[in-house]
Amino acid sequence: MVTRVARTRGERIFQAVNAVLLTGVVLVTLYPFVTILARSLSSEAEIYAGRVNLIPRGLNLTTYKLVMSDSMFWTNYRNTVLYTVAATLISMVLTTCYAYVLSKKDLRGRGILVGLALFTMFFTGGLIPNYVLVTSLGLKNSIWAIVLPNAINVFNLLVMKAFFESLPVELEEAAAIDGLGTYGILWRIVLPLSKAVLATMVLFYAVTFWNSWFAAFLYMDRGELFPVTVYLRNLIAGATTASSTGSALGDVGQVAASIQAVTIVLTVLPILVIYPFIQRYFVSGVMLGAVKG
Amino acid sequence: MPPLTRRRFAALTAGALLLALTGCDSDSESSDATDLSGNRAGAMADLQVGQQFTATEPLTFPILYSSHPNYPLKKDWLFFSELGKRTGVTLQPTEVPMSDYEKKRGLLIGAGDAPFIIPKTYPGQERAYVASGTILPVSDYLDLMPNLKDKIAKWKLGPDIDTLRQEDGKFYLLPGVHEEVWPDFSLALRTDVLKELNLAVPTTWDELHTVLKAMKAAHPTSYPFSDRFAVPNPGGSLLNILAQSYSTRGGWGYLNASWDAAGKTFAFTGAMDGYKQMLEYLHTLVAEGLLDPESFTQSDDAATQKFVTGKSFVISTNAQNIVRDYRPALTKANPKATVVKIPVPDGPAGHVQGGTRLENGLMVTKKARESKNFVAMMQFIDWLWYSDQGEEFAKWGVEGTTYTKDAAGKRTFTADVDFVGLNPKGTKNLQVAYGFMNGVFAYGGTTELLQSMFSAEELVFQKEMASKTILPVDPPYPFSAEEREQASLWETSLKDHVDANTLQFILGQRDFAQWPAYLDELKTKNMTQYVDLVNKAHERFVKDHGGQ
Repeated sequence: MVTRVARTRGERIFQAVNAVLLTGVVLVTLYPFVTILARSLSSEAEIYAGRVNLIPRGLNLTTYKLVMSDSMFWTNYRNTVLYTVAATLISMVLTTCYAYVLSKKDLRGRGILVGLALFTMFFTGGLIPNYVLVTSLGLKNSIWAIVLPNAINVFNLLVMKAFFESLPVELEEAAAIDGLGTYGILWRIVLPLSKAVLATMVLFYAVTFWNSWFAAFLYMDRGELFPVTVYLRNLIAGATTASSTGSALGDVGQVAASIQAVTIVLTVLPILVIYPFIQRYFVSGVMLGAVKG
Repeated sequence: MPPLTRRRFAALTAGALLLALTGCDSDSESSDATDLSGNRAGAMADLQVGQQFTATEPLTFPILYSSHPNYPLKKDWLFFSELGKRTGVTLQPTEVPMSDYEKKRGLLIGAGDAPFIIPKTYPGQERAYVASGTILPVSDYLDLMPNLKDKIAKWKLGPDIDTLRQEDGKFYLLPGVHEEVWPDFSLALRTDVLKELNLAVPTTWDELHTVLKAMKAAHPTSYPFSDRFAVPNPGGSLLNILAQSYSTRGGWGYLNASWDAAGKTFAFTGAMDGYKQMLEYLHTLVAEGLLDPESFTQSDDAATQKFVTGKSFVISTNAQNIVRDYRPALTKANPKATVVKIPVPDGPAGHVQGGTRLENGLMVTKKARESKNFVAMMQFIDWLWYSDQGEEFAKWGVEGTTYTKDAAGKRTFTADVDFVGLNPKGTKNLQVAYGFMNGVFAYGGTTELLQSMFSAEELVFQKEMASKTILPVDPPYPFSAEEREQASLWETSLKDHVDANTLQFILGQRDFAQWPAYLDELKTKNMTQYVDLVNKAHERFVKDHGGQ
């Protein structure tokens, strides 16, 4: 038989208020999503009349068909997937290696290595010097311009480092006695124990790279190399500025609100789908770097 | 190797830095503007006005391209292939999404990586790059561009071009040029409501006031006028067109200094009597419940909704808004509704309109000047963007393929081609499928060409607007580098103060009895010093380069 401790009246009131408040927050957060989803399924005239709120009106899939028939949309979507997968992979490898190395307290020059990473967190070279550097390395118009310069996120690095430091040294010493080399220890002992933090970092990196548009915008000269986020940004922010400042006739021509909504939905969809499966690692993953009691 | 002592380390670093500094490229000799002997490869020996430019050898020019989301760049557009056939030039576009075009342009110019030709540059935007010395003073090379020179002379664009001149008297932008001022923004009115109330279309702002009062009397619970275009300047369009009737500037057209023709000097716009009267007019409308106070803050969508759902009857508009945003949704809900873009109403200044005949244009980089094909490039630019044939080509396309021209010169699309609904049976969009009417290449030109793609109702509007006298452009007042720094410090705080108080006065949050206090506040923000700076710069320009 399980004993349950009865909750005091105060606790019950707190729970109730908490539930109401948090439900409110959830609804407010969900509202834009539901509206965009509704808009993507509505007809344009209804959107302009302002009648589309939570429920689609003039329900039709023509806008979806329209957007999905644009070959550039799929090219850019493919680019996003490609960049995200490649960038996440490279970032994970680099960050894990760097963090593992830094977690070894007896490493000579450890302070300098940590300092180097920290320095980049506070200071950057600036937009133009970065551009000149990447271009002179010949990385322009290639996937490396997106993947390499932002490969290591210092925050992620420090979290991983702290986690690796928290692993008992005795474990690795025992493995060394059993004959495992450095790489063996990393691959067979440390990484299997770090599944939570690795999953969290994969998620952090993947979402960041999926949403990123700036690096591609900076270093790509051709439309077929853009990720879908640049495509979407142009759809939403591009033509609207033209129509409000009286530009040439060839510039004006707003993109339909329904097309914007459809593109948003299609861009966000994969992340939305993956999140629930990985988010349970989130809380534990971030806290892993904290001081152990 | 002995350990690196601190001193040796410092010496090494210093040496390395020194090497890096001296290794920097010293400024290459600036070419003499007149010596073009080494740059004529591919150029035509003697290009005349109206002559087809054809390079004497195939040439390639890099160009920055602003990609409009409605018609993404396609390398196989008929525009590019036909251009290559006629001129022998292949363009190498660096594609940039339109949403962040200016950012990338600034980056590329700053990094020294910009393509030779940089289009979509609005008058005033080139100023930022002049000091860096990376763009060419194109006024030095006007002799290479016979079509542009011809248009400047024919259409008397001298004063307009003067507004582009920098302190050295040269201008650095090749602007888009129009034969006449092209008015596009005005007010859209529900003409069926007017008819119900037995009112005529208002031709003056006072008549508009009367009309609004009648509308309010018939529909007391709503605001008859609820406006849009609140971003980035509140009342951007409304204040812009209203200001012309009060001999001042406002909204999108706001500049801190305006030329006072009577006093022959520059005055501070936000302090002018005309500006005050304009605000008083709008305040009256707001106070009487005729103009929705939210007009100056609400989103375009919110304002459009009020209009198409019949809550309001007057809204700002351009040619596109009526056709795209208002009419379809409005007539769907209310088939009897009719909406018309009325000519801009007149005010105390009379039957006038202001505006510039210049619009966005091209910059050319200094690197292009050093290319051996420089002269050919300038001739190419002259043909495509400034000759009548080039402009017609960029706008309409290939005669016989995308359009036909009858004996009277009237152009019609071929059966399958459409643009802005001028040929509803056409399935191929002129911009999307062929690459013509492209914002990067097609703008400016004769009024005939400009209006050739206007709908019938737009032509009515243009005809009525053409009867208005054009106000002269303000003379230039180019600053030196130090003056520009000083001016920038003052300009922003002055403009912000004017914007904030404009809203307050209109909405009645600040009484007009406080106008002198407002003027005093402007004085504490260096208004007088700013105006003095402007006038000094203007007088210096007149002394050095002539003009009024």
